[in-house]
Amino acid sequence: MFSLYKKEVQSYFYSPFAYIVSALFLLVFSLSFFYIVSTMKDSTVRFSFASVFYDNFFYFIFMIPLLTMRTFAEERKSHTETLWLSAPITVPQVVIAKFLAVATVYLLMCALSLVFPLIAWIKGSVIVSGLICGYAGFFFWGLVCIAVGILCSALTDSPILAAVLGEAAMIVLLFIDIISRTEFAKANLTLYNILAWFSLQNRFAGFAQGFFSVADLVYFITISLVVLVWTVIVIEKRRWSRG
Amino acid sequence: MVEIKNLTKFYGAHPAVQDISFTVGDREVLGFLGPNGAGKSTTMNMITGCLPSSAGTVLVDGYDIEKQPLEVKRRIGYLPELPPVYPDMRVREYLTFAAGLKGVPRPDRKKQVERAMERLSITDVQKRVIGNLSKGYRQRVGFAQALLGDPKFLILDEPTVGLDPKQVMEVRGLIRDLAKEHTIIFSTHILAEVTAVCERVVIISKGQIRAVDTIANLERSVSADTVLKLRVEGELTKVTRLIQGIEGVKEIREAEIESDGINIFTVALESEEVRKAIVTTLVSNDCMVLEINTLHANLEEVFVRLTAPTRTQTREEAFEELGRKLEADRAAELAEENDRDGGEEADS
Repeated sequence: MFSLYKKEVQSYFYSPFAYIVSALFLLVFSLSFFYIVSTMKDSTVRFSFASVFYDNFFYFIFMIPLLTMRTFAEERKSHTETLWLSAPITVPQVVIAKFLAVATVYLLMCALSLVFPLIAWIKGSVIVSGLICGYAGFFFWGLVCIAVGILCSALTDSPILAAVLGEAAMIVLLFIDIISRTEFAKANLTLYNILAWFSLQNRFAGFAQGFFSVADLVYFITISLVVLVWTVIVIEKRRWSRG
Repeated sequence: MVEIKNLTKFYGAHPAVQDISFTVGDREVLGFLGPNGAGKSTTMNMITGCLPSSAGTVLVDGYDIEKQPLEVKRRIGYLPELPPVYPDMRVREYLTFAAGLKGVPRPDRKKQVERAMERLSITDVQKRVIGNLSKGYRQRVGFAQALLGDPKFLILDEPTVGLDPKQVMEVRGLIRDLAKEHTIIFSTHILAEVTAVCERVVIISKGQIRAVDTIANLERSVSADTVLKLRVEGELTKVTRLIQGIEGVKEIREAEIESDGINIFTVALESEEVRKAIVTTLVSNDCMVLEINTLHANLEEVFVRLTAPTRTQTREEAFEELGRKLEADRAAELAEENDRDGGEEADS
């Protein structure tokens, strides 16, 4: 399993993929950072990274399918899946290895963005606890998105289609929150409760504001696991019907 | 030992493989022969556990592929029809990765990878990116991958496809060489390959087994009749009449005029003894026997006979099909006409 994980991480850095997505990520991060810093007035509350994270995620979420689109779709397209299907390794192990590999790349990207708090720290002050909290929320929400992206990749044999499906899923994830705040949803309490419970954004907002909630953390991890289990089922199901 | 019992696979309602059973002994090379689309790859995918079966069992060394897949997979090296190579990796790196995936302990990996590369003579391309290699090389990298972990059983799906004649010879030699330590099942649609490499064959067609036997037995089974090829000097009709008159002659399969007065006959006999009677009869009637040969059926004939379509279209069905086709053509014509009319109206 470790071999597969290692190979997956390597493959990101062999292609220009990881570099370009990281660059894009830093660009987005720097722009929102710059925007918030430049519009800050003396009268406003102290500058914190919470708002940067919060703003950032709406752009960043659309980059995750780019990272995950190749995970399974590419294997299916180039017929390499027979390699691990015939090797002494189980499908859940494969899914976990691939998930961890993407998570590692994602973690590295997050680490790169530490340069902004560093600048802020040199030129001013940074609330460390808030920062850690923000990063934790950012990372765990990212994990959910990665799991969803991998699921989308397992559904098709075209990486492009996987990316499009992934983007669609991300939009749905974002809009659950918006829909839950409409008058229509609020009129029906059950619907509202369900939507609000599924809204990742609500939970992320807590982290972004510096509230570290174990319940929300468990929630993010559980959702990721459920989606990964779903991925395993999709792959096993496809194994039945392939030629 | 690999035991395959009543293996069946359905794709929807379509049976790809039906009720296949055979056994492969230790250190045996079994040829899996069949025309394209016969279900060879499907069967191999089921043996290696890539594809679950609809019914039936596969036992590898007593382990069931459904119940203990990891034990089975540890014992099998598989080269699928399309080599499972990652185009963006280098040869050596890919093989090291595959060795890890197959659970080869870390200290052994280097040695095993080097040995596999040597066997397939790809050591000189070890630093190249697989995507830039030719198809033959890619095929060999895939083959090398199957050897990693020193599996007891090798399942090779058309291992020589895409190789040039010299490489084909090399791979056949390699298979013979590997047979000393491994049990090999390999599929092919090339007959020469089977005769060159294996002792026993399974012939499969349309998802069903047509024969499981040694090559020698198969050839014998088809040529149960003794078939003679005679080159005789004498008038065609006269010789024909003479031969037909001999007791024990089944039929004259072919008669051919070679040159003036010399004819070639292919004759099926009931037994070898009739041969003598033919010669004496012909000679005593002033027809010189210039040449006499016993013909042996080869595997090719066996193959064609066993995989030939079993059901021929009846006359009624043929008419029905023709009728359907004409109707469809007529409908297409009408549709085209309508289109054209519509277009003209719009123009005016």
